[in-house]
Amino acid sequence: MNILRNKLQLLERFDYLLLFCVTALTTIGIFFIYSSGINSNGVSVSGEYVKQIIFASTGFILMISFALFDYRKLKRFIPTIFGGYIVILLYTLFFGKYVNGARSWLGIGKLGVQPSEFGKIIYILCLAWYLDRSTTVSAGVRYFYSALILGMPVLLILAQPDMGTASVYIPIFLTMLFVADIPLKYIIVTLSIGVLSILFTVLPVWYQSTETTNFLFKILTASKLRFIVVIASTMIAIIGFAGLILYKLKIYSWLSGIFGVLSFSLLLSTLAQKVLKDYQIKRLIVFVNPDIDPLGSGWNIIQSKIAIGSGGIFGQGFLKGTQSHYQFLPQQSTDFIFGILAEEIGFLGSLFVFLLFLTIFFRILYLLRTIKNTFGYYIGVGILTMFFFHFVVNVGMVMGIMPITGIPLTFLSYGGSSLWTAMISVGILMNINFRRLDF
Amino acid sequence: MQITTNSFDFKNQYGSSNKKNRKLILFLIIICVTFIIYVLKLFSMQILEGTSYKKKSRNISSQLKSIPAQRGEIFDRDAQEPLAINIDSFAVDIRPGEIEPLKRDTVIAKIAEYLSLTQEEINKKLEGYAKATFTPIEIKANVSFGEISNIAENITDLPGISWRSKPIRNYRITQSMSHIIGYVGDITKEELKVLYNKGYSNRSIIGKTGIEKQYDLLLQGKAGAEMRTVDVHGKFILEAPKITPPVSGKNLILTIDNRIQTLAEKALGERVGAAIVLRPHNGEILAMVSYPSFDPNIFTIDKTTEAINALNNDKNEPLLNRAINAEYAPASTFKVIMGTAILAEQAFPPDKTIECRGFVDYGDRVFHCHIGAPGHGPMDLQRGLAQSCNVYFWTVGTEYLGVDIIHSYATEFGFGKSLGIDLPASLKGFMPNARWKERKYHEKWLGGDTMNISIGQGYTRVTPLHVANMMAMVVNKGKIYKPHLLKEIRDPQSKTVIETTQKELLLSSNIEAEIWETMQQNLRYTVTDGSAQFPLRNKVVKIAGKTGTGEVENINDSWHSWFVAYGPFDGAVEDMVVVCVLVEATNTWEWWAPYASNIIFQGIFANQDYDEAVDALGFKYLKKPRRRQE
Repeated sequence: MNILRNKLQLLERFDYLLLFCVTALTTIGIFFIYSSGINSNGVSVSGEYVKQIIFASTGFILMISFALFDYRKLKRFIPTIFGGYIVILLYTLFFGKYVNGARSWLGIGKLGVQPSEFGKIIYILCLAWYLDRSTTVSAGVRYFYSALILGMPVLLILAQPDMGTASVYIPIFLTMLFVADIPLKYIIVTLSIGVLSILFTVLPVWYQSTETTNFLFKILTASKLRFIVVIASTMIAIIGFAGLILYKLKIYSWLSGIFGVLSFSLLLSTLAQKVLKDYQIKRLIVFVNPDIDPLGSGWNIIQSKIAIGSGGIFGQGFLKGTQSHYQFLPQQSTDFIFGILAEEIGFLGSLFVFLLFLTIFFRILYLLRTIKNTFGYYIGVGILTMFFFHFVVNVGMVMGIMPITGIPLTFLSYGGSSLWTAMISVGILMNINFRRLDF
Repeated sequence: MQITTNSFDFKNQYGSSNKKNRKLILFLIIICVTFIIYVLKLFSMQILEGTSYKKKSRNISSQLKSIPAQRGEIFDRDAQEPLAINIDSFAVDIRPGEIEPLKRDTVIAKIAEYLSLTQEEINKKLEGYAKATFTPIEIKANVSFGEISNIAENITDLPGISWRSKPIRNYRITQSMSHIIGYVGDITKEELKVLYNKGYSNRSIIGKTGIEKQYDLLLQGKAGAEMRTVDVHGKFILEAPKITPPVSGKNLILTIDNRIQTLAEKALGERVGAAIVLRPHNGEILAMVSYPSFDPNIFTIDKTTEAINALNNDKNEPLLNRAINAEYAPASTFKVIMGTAILAEQAFPPDKTIECRGFVDYGDRVFHCHIGAPGHGPMDLQRGLAQSCNVYFWTVGTEYLGVDIIHSYATEFGFGKSLGIDLPASLKGFMPNARWKERKYHEKWLGGDTMNISIGQGYTRVTPLHVANMMAMVVNKGKIYKPHLLKEIRDPQSKTVIETTQKELLLSSNIEAEIWETMQQNLRYTVTDGSAQFPLRNKVVKIAGKTGTGEVENINDSWHSWFVAYGPFDGAVEDMVVVCVLVEATNTWEWWAPYASNIIFQGIFANQDYDEAVDALGFKYLKKPRRRQE
């Protein structure tokens, strides 16, 4: 009887609205993947939509399976799974398949998976698991171990080099630490290191393309000068730290904090410039002004903006977009799928897609408000951040207000790894939802 | 019972706390604000500015065309002789959309005639494109100027036909040079996957082998681009195109001396094998020959599948560079290493003799020296090397050195190690030891195995360049410089030198100078008083070296013939060259390696070509030896 009541309770708590949104988005995705494979003669030249249908149907099975067992039972296995994930990333780094110049795929024959996609779930679970069990530990230690959980996969993914996927890990880290009551100063320090490193990486390329030279440019490009600045600011940070210990004055903590962040970001950006190619850095800034590279990465943005703009209120009609079918739009089925969608179903259609996403975000927020279990709470925040970040960066990129990072649009973009990751995440959300009232 | 959340509840029914709720509200605000911004942006793009974009997409889209960069050219060491150049050539394109549908067939028939193609061939190229596309489709590359002028004269009858310059790679000196230079071809999907991040595109022409592959990034240059505004059908709209000019690839000057290359090529002749000439004091390769060779223009100009298939199916593997990409047993040339080991280890007094009776019993087997009974007689190290007496080295190898010492010396000479040469896919060779055999065959290392490696047989494998390097080590008294083929990088326009390759140490040994000097004396004695006195007689240059004759399974009346030497023996090290020749056992037995080497030495130092050198050495009428020679 008890078991039966439990099952009934599950059905009662089943989140039909969430399921509806996910199904709707996936279906729309399949339609526009089909559309992206149509050439200017109206002939379908790509079988991607068929594959996506297979990914979607298997994805739903995955979703249901991840919804059924009690997610808290996973806790015991999380360290092992995370360790396994790191090993797989290492393996991929050396023996993976190249896709778009990054060694990011593992595959047998024609089948391939991108471990760093699925890894996002493992990473969220692991971070949630750690934050949940470490509430009694001091904030500094908690931050340190969390940063390890972040750093290991991110460095390995950056080495592939796959900047886009790696960048998703950082906002997840920030929000999860934020809700786990890690003091704000840690989060601000992490955020400023991240922002400054990107800035320092990008600025020299920006100055080069606009042909300006100023003092900052010299620091960032002349390696000797840069080295001196790093040494100087590290020294100041150390002195500040010493002062803090000796005199316990607030001014010293500011001093060491600011200069510590400065030298760390300078070092990180040096590393990034070593790893990244010039034109990869260009992709990060080209959205500000596509004309600095109109024939290279700016091309994508110019084309996708034209695609969106030509959609108007009602769109050109399904399968009738010109930008895409004349192959002006790059990567139409994956990263730029929103472009083709906006062109063919216009503002109203795009708004509908936006609303579906918004509903998903709201459903997760609602779940988070009512949940009692902190482990589940952290997982939920991680998944929400992941979905939201993908949405913001991808749609922003297609609209020309975000950098080109190669992040797919959840549920809509073509790709098995990305879709399955999303489906599994939804499954876990449902799982948490069923058991939200249990501690 | 329903409890409403109020701000004083620390924890309500749903586990929400005040703090938690505040954080979630922050999330809510962020999500809503972003959402509003995005909707507004979308609204402004699609509705406020929508019409202007719509016009853009309908009338003018941009078409991107890449302007290929001129590939760098390759020269021999004086920078005079071009080895690989680009020749002007044309490609003919067709834009079906510009042809009236009724005229289509006549135009295709006509252009087919001008280009000596069949109509089917052209129609096949057009498959997969829209019937009326304005995209230019290449129907033929490598069209001559004559054919183009024919077309130009009749262009009024040929609407939709256009041509453009498309230089093709031409290799001026083929044959043995082909293994060094390599050839180019269209990039494959697999290559692009790996090179995507290095500025290659799906239309790149990429080096497939040799120098063309090794230095592809230098030769490649950087493609320029041309952006033109076109309408949706790909038709140009009059407006000045935006152009980023291409950057030409760099010119490469090789260390190869074309004169010596030709000399070595002829000295090896039509015998399957390899020959290398290098400067030991800096590692420059002056000549590298591998026979049989091929004509790389097959891959760039002729491009016929029959010719390419014939190359791939040839059982003599003409595409294989035997100098670095094939491995052989070093045979008796290995005795140079053995001799050095005996001296350096003081394992056996060099003037003490071992009696060679033509064979030796070991375990339950009889090992025969290369001459029958009564054998070489009493042998010390010098005479053992000169006569290449196996009994001497078997005995010392098994009784006084052992596998570990032999292995460590061979490794010191670079056997089983990377050659470091700037050509793709060079082999490492292999030097066996006891641990390896046990792991691989689950068998113990036996004395017989030590006997085998002592005379350079058994599992040992090296490339001819390893053997040449071994001799360089003796010449340099313990140093091997990285063998290399690139001498300079030059600017294609101004011809100024951008970078010169510096000599770089590959291996060095701690063995004392005296021992090397003794070895040099021994190797000179081997040439003057050894088994190969006659083939190595030379009045112009004093040669020192070592022969080798390698047993090959399943071939009984022929052997791999090695000779590795340096000269001039008493000259300055800067003047010295190392010559290594290998003639495979698959050829009819001539014992050719010593003869070929001598011809190369004669040619280099008397400044003679092949025929003159053969005359001077009296090699014009040679009798082929019937028996094995060592």
